[in-house]
Amino acid sequence: MELPNYFLADLPPEATFSPAMIEEACRTLKRNREQYLAIRSTPALIRLLADTADNWLQPDYPFRQIALEQGPKATGFAPATLAAGLDGFFREITGDKLQALITQDLGMGLRLDGPVATAAEQKAQRAAMASGPEFIFHIAAGRIPNPTFLSIMLGILTRSAQFIKCPSGAAFLPRLFAHSLYDTDHKLGACLEVAEWRGGNTALENVLFQESDCVTATGSDETLAELRRRVPARSRLLTYGHKVSFGYVTAAAAAGNGARKVAAAAAADVVAWDQLGCLSPHVLYVESGAGSGGEYFAELLAKELERRERTEPRGTLPTETAAVIANRRAFYEVRAAHSPDTRHWCSENSTAWTVVYEAEPRFQLSCLHRFIYVKPVRDLADALQNADAVRGSVSTVGLAATEEEATPLVAQLGRWGVTRVCPLGKMQQPPLAWRHDGRPALADLVTWTDWEQ
Amino acid sequence: MAIGLASSSQPGTGFGEEEFNQWALELFALQFAANPVYRRFCSARGVTPAGVEDWRQIPAISVSAFKEGDLTSLPEAVRARVFHSSGTTGQRHSRHFHDANSLAVYEASLQGWFAPHLLPEGATASARMGMLALTPTPEAAPHSSLVHMLATLGQGGGAEFLGEAGGENGWSLDGAKVLAAVEARAVAGPVMLLGTAFNFVHWLDFLTERGVRLELPAGSRIMETGGYKGRSRIVPKEELHDWMTQRLGVGPQWIIREYGMSELSSQGYDGVAGRAQSRGRQFAFPPWARVQVVSPETGREVAEGETGLLRIYDLANLRSVMAVQTEDLGVRRGGEFELLGRAELAEPRGCSLQSA
Repeated sequence: MELPNYFLADLPPEATFSPAMIEEACRTLKRNREQYLAIRSTPALIRLLADTADNWLQPDYPFRQIALEQGPKATGFAPATLAAGLDGFFREITGDKLQALITQDLGMGLRLDGPVATAAEQKAQRAAMASGPEFIFHIAAGRIPNPTFLSIMLGILTRSAQFIKCPSGAAFLPRLFAHSLYDTDHKLGACLEVAEWRGGNTALENVLFQESDCVTATGSDETLAELRRRVPARSRLLTYGHKVSFGYVTAAAAAGNGARKVAAAAAADVVAWDQLGCLSPHVLYVESGAGSGGEYFAELLAKELERRERTEPRGTLPTETAAVIANRRAFYEVRAAHSPDTRHWCSENSTAWTVVYEAEPRFQLSCLHRFIYVKPVRDLADALQNADAVRGSVSTVGLAATEEEATPLVAQLGRWGVTRVCPLGKMQQPPLAWRHDGRPALADLVTWTDWEQ
Repeated sequence: MAIGLASSSQPGTGFGEEEFNQWALELFALQFAANPVYRRFCSARGVTPAGVEDWRQIPAISVSAFKEGDLTSLPEAVRARVFHSSGTTGQRHSRHFHDANSLAVYEASLQGWFAPHLLPEGATASARMGMLALTPTPEAAPHSSLVHMLATLGQGGGAEFLGEAGGENGWSLDGAKVLAAVEARAVAGPVMLLGTAFNFVHWLDFLTERGVRLELPAGSRIMETGGYKGRSRIVPKEELHDWMTQRLGVGPQWIIREYGMSELSSQGYDGVAGRAQSRGRQFAFPPWARVQVVSPETGREVAEGETGLLRIYDLANLRSVMAVQTEDLGVRRGGEFELLGRAELAEPRGCSLQSA
């Protein structure tokens, strides 16, 4: 199947855009939105999104097939990794869950359709409606497509025209998703534009800042600070900064037969999307009640990663990236030869996976691509103290704990600033209604109209 | 350890494949026996001298090992000199220890390969050459192996050090002072300027700001050695060399790059002064060293024309470790290599922080 030339991202890589082209595209998007999207009902949009997601789960869906066939070359992920990542995402997109998301964020399912009132509001003789932006400019980042997919879906629920700018070389999956929406419903597709260019093209981006009333952006702190200066004050700017994540395993959870299961869960988090997202763990903190608990766990994890590599191999890396991993391994090889405080396990004849056990508990950023640190700690307080350097930048903690342990641990993590705690093994699969970086993603997009009856 | 390396090493002789292999195996056995840090490393890999027949089987230890422990066979009492890697504040430095004997080997090694590349005209011409280093003096930078090298080269030739050591690791220079010194020496004939890339950026910035353009005498040359380590903005190599030509009147065939590091005792050069190509230059190490370009995935040597990490076997690394695994990438070209530079994560990292 050949994709039609429909979006800017479909043009050959040498194509250049002028500010006038972008301006024209924005006008068309707004006109189409007014005609085709603004008038739709929430139930109809939910149906459409849920149907599209369901299509993506079907093995013979042409867009899925393209993703799995051309994806490895275009994205660097192996087919099995892509399939697992896409399935994890699209399984979450059901009618019920979309409905629940709206209710969670906006209080009622039909808030976006007109003024409605909850029981409490009725009592107070009030009602309210929520309206989305007319035009959202998304500045996407990174190689994992899920956040971009989700942004597009939320923008459809708010009936917004959307322009998605991908970083150069990373438009493949967002572009396929946009095509799948266009295929499901041409008119809806006409309210979307996808393009890619290297960030910082001020001539093009300034046009989009002028045309949009909402900008969402993912990127480095410097990029976001720069955007804050450039986006006009009348526009709503939603930023998602750099985040890191880690795992925490209690002694009780990893005791006895539990250890193998917990190691398998940890491996799933390292394998998912080759560990390249901000929800992927850099470090696994393991409570070492009795001696070498952490080390044993690291060894189990290495075995798991070796096993997973056989069915879900890591993507191939450019030499430069492989060299970074090789250099870091070489460093730990020296350390491990000299001290029992460091051990390492590596895939043979490849950089496919690496486990480094270090008694030194300080948080360490991984070079990712399935390179994970295991560090022993006394307790959670010990772990948090050692992760102080990344405090405020932690998104997710994957937790392996017994039922009795969990509640106080989560409270402790929340007070420290962690915005999401999930079971180890689910770090890269946030539910649809998760609050991205601690903020309600859909609620952040809307503007309320209160009606005092 | 009785080593006759320095006296027997004439460039290009005495280091055929067989001799090199013999020297390498012998040195490996000595280093394995006398360097406990290295021995533990080899043992962890299950390699001992008894099991090694070819120099390529000798375990290469990461340059980062020079930061971790005392990677030396010298007892503390006889460590006369130590060279540190340059690096930004807060990072641990490499430590490469020497005694008088190993220092003499280092000096013989660097002289032996520098001369044919930077002074191919021979001894008479070189005696007249004004050699000006943009680095601080050996007194101000006693732990810099580069400065020691430049001081060694200068003996007899009258090298003048023009830079200053400002702050913990900040090398700086007084642009006007350097200009005056260079102009004064250039009156008498061709000069050789030596320094790090960032030394040259600092000085060229000064010249550019003041609109100064020099036309150094014919035969003047430059030895530039890479590395910025955050001490100036990074200027791509071609741009830096064009800038040198433009501001100093030194043509590209007279600009030679050196590849060296405190962890090694031999250096590579990417051409011969006056005859260097303007494009596609390759670095060559002296006959008493070998370079391998290895795949970061498998650790095995890559095919001709492919990219990998540089691994150097340097017989002049007497008292530390001969087999050194660098963190630099290069393209394999015969026994030589094109230098690509330090491997760093360049791809978009999404929302993950850069690695520390």
